[in-house]
Amino acid sequence: MKKLVMPALFFLSVALIPCVYGGRDSLAQAQEKSPAPQIIQPVSEPTSTKPAEKPSAVSTPSVQDTTSHKDYATMNVKECAECHKGSGVAPTHGAYWVKEHGQVASKSRKNCVDCHGQSFCLDCHKGGGIDADLKISNYRTNYIPASHRTDFREIHPLKALDNPQTCYRCHNQRYCTECHSKFRGTDLMVQSHRRAWSDGTFQNGIAHSGFTTAQCQSCHPGGILNQNIWSSDHAREARRNLQSCQTCHNDGAVCMTCHSARSGLMVNPHPRNWDRVKDKYRSKSGGKSCRMCHDTF
Amino acid sequence: MWLPARFIRVVAVCLLCGLCAAAKTASAVVVEGRSSTQLLWFNDIIDGSKQVEMAQYLNVSFNGIDSGEKLSVKGYGKLDYDLKHGGEVENRLYYLYADYKGFMDKADIRLGRQFVNLSAGSALIDGIEADINKVGPVGVVVMGGRDVVFGEERELASHLYSVGAAAYLTGLPKISLDVSYYRAYDYSDIARDILGAGYRQYFLDSIQLYANARYDLTAEVFNEVLGGIKYFPTLNWMLTAEHYESYPTFDTTSIYSVFAVDQYKENTVRAEYTATSWLDISFGYSREDFGEGARANLYEAGVKLRPSMNTTIGLFHDRRWGYPGDLAGFKVYAEYNSFGKWKAAAGIDYDTYERDNMTGQETATKYWAAGKYKFAKNMSSSIRVEDNVNVNYSRDMQGRLTFDYDF
Repeated sequence: MKKLVMPALFFLSVALIPCVYGGRDSLAQAQEKSPAPQIIQPVSEPTSTKPAEKPSAVSTPSVQDTTSHKDYATMNVKECAECHKGSGVAPTHGAYWVKEHGQVASKSRKNCVDCHGQSFCLDCHKGGGIDADLKISNYRTNYIPASHRTDFREIHPLKALDNPQTCYRCHNQRYCTECHSKFRGTDLMVQSHRRAWSDGTFQNGIAHSGFTTAQCQSCHPGGILNQNIWSSDHAREARRNLQSCQTCHNDGAVCMTCHSARSGLMVNPHPRNWDRVKDKYRSKSGGKSCRMCHDTF
Repeated sequence: MWLPARFIRVVAVCLLCGLCAAAKTASAVVVEGRSSTQLLWFNDIIDGSKQVEMAQYLNVSFNGIDSGEKLSVKGYGKLDYDLKHGGEVENRLYYLYADYKGFMDKADIRLGRQFVNLSAGSALIDGIEADINKVGPVGVVVMGGRDVVFGEERELASHLYSVGAAAYLTGLPKISLDVSYYRAYDYSDIARDILGAGYRQYFLDSIQLYANARYDLTAEVFNEVLGGIKYFPTLNWMLTAEHYESYPTFDTTSIYSVFAVDQYKENTVRAEYTATSWLDISFGYSREDFGEGARANLYEAGVKLRPSMNTTIGLFHDRRWGYPGDLAGFKVYAEYNSFGKWKAAAGIDYDTYERDNMTGQETATKYWAAGKYKFAKNMSSSIRVEDNVNVNYSRDMQGRLTFDYDF
């Protein structure tokens, strides 16, 4: 019963708002309170979920008379250039705006809010889709951005490598892990894993998987490995996109098989500047990440 | 963390309902927003079975609450329900915050769940952001709160907390400069410590320089660096050259934070040209360097045509080759807008790709058509249907039906 209370309240509020208000009456009241600014007539439809109020055009337009973009929120973006001509301000919202907007949106005193509510940002960045543009597809209730063209389930391993940071602009790492955990591990193996150590056999025919991590050093003192595709490939792949390792090996336990200081091959995984920064990691993490591999640190 | 998260959602919904009720008695309050009811059908990504979900969105803002019209409340959330399998009604509260502008004529304050975005980091938080401006040539932003983390279906328990601050120049119309600091706590441990900066400046009425950088104070590396120049000699031309590099860093509490990684670099040039009022052309090329000799090349080209005021046709093509595989594709669509009652659009998306030499060449195609009809100025309905033909499906029909009401 408790589970129904929240949805019921939400639906109730949805239903109540249009009933309680005369919708457009309220808007009209607001317009009466504040005189309508002069504005040129937009020729296009609003593109944001909550367009700014569109006051009636009462006189000859003079864009320079006003400074807020709110008055022009319903215009076609291309028309903005007409007013900004000669102003020395670069036109925005061009063909590559999806790639470029982050740089503008992260600055202080940004004016995105003049035309877009936060919902416009979050529908892409946090999943959702109240403003359903006809050209945009969706998976479940979430928008699929243009970068996720066609069969993104199959293509995303390629796209995720273009710029490893891109995925995390919208997806928390836990989102990736949550989805990957639904698949069998063998279905998601990347190329380097296909000749995994467990498949390899020792000279006497015993599989690697028959040994414990405590026995690694007896055959591989100092972590020395024979040349093989997997050992070099996995290291390169990991360095190039460590986030992708994390999507399946969330806690990194599998890495400890060889990279722990306690057992296994004891291969040092740290970056070159480790000696300089290790104290920071120790103090900031409270030793949490150190304890995973070291008894003393 | 489960209890606080649930508590916050309950409080949020109650607050929303309370505001509706309170607003009824305060005639000056202006309530605006959109209700969108959506029916969505699609194939489950895991087992391929057909799924049907119902979603209810509500985006609402309350303005004119106080006499000075400084206070407003904005909220956005959704409920969705699996019509085929039943189960719980999933909910997602994207934001619900009170926005007070001009506090003591010097600060804009937001309180509640909100999206915060500094040059050093961004987060969806349950917390506060204050923008202190009009105190001289420098403005200051401070923010802090509990991070909200959404999973695939629901909000996940979060033990991350973010705090941040930024200082920025004001009063210089052609220069934007800010320095910011972002720190994330994982319980009481410091998970992230980032210093950020953003810069943008116009020269000679036709040049723009811009840069962004994030420096990880723990790893002592630049987490991200972006620098570029835009040249726009006329309104028709926009030329861009850009350099970007990143060095992935992780929360200090994650074991991944102690591993060595490679630096990623990307150099890009782009050109955008408006040939006539009905023709836009764009072209871009990027060279990617993943380290240790792995590189890739990308190019993309696009044409947008407007044969009439009502019609738009778009054609876009891109191709990448190199590490870690090849991908090429195109997108073509046509859209007709009657500027009155209805709008229609249709298109095809196509990709051919090779992830590695064990999977070989694959193709994926998406055919789609959509339409929108306005019943009234504030009431409309839309439908979008698509068929996916790819390595997993010879036919995969999915789509959505929406009903939107603006109030």
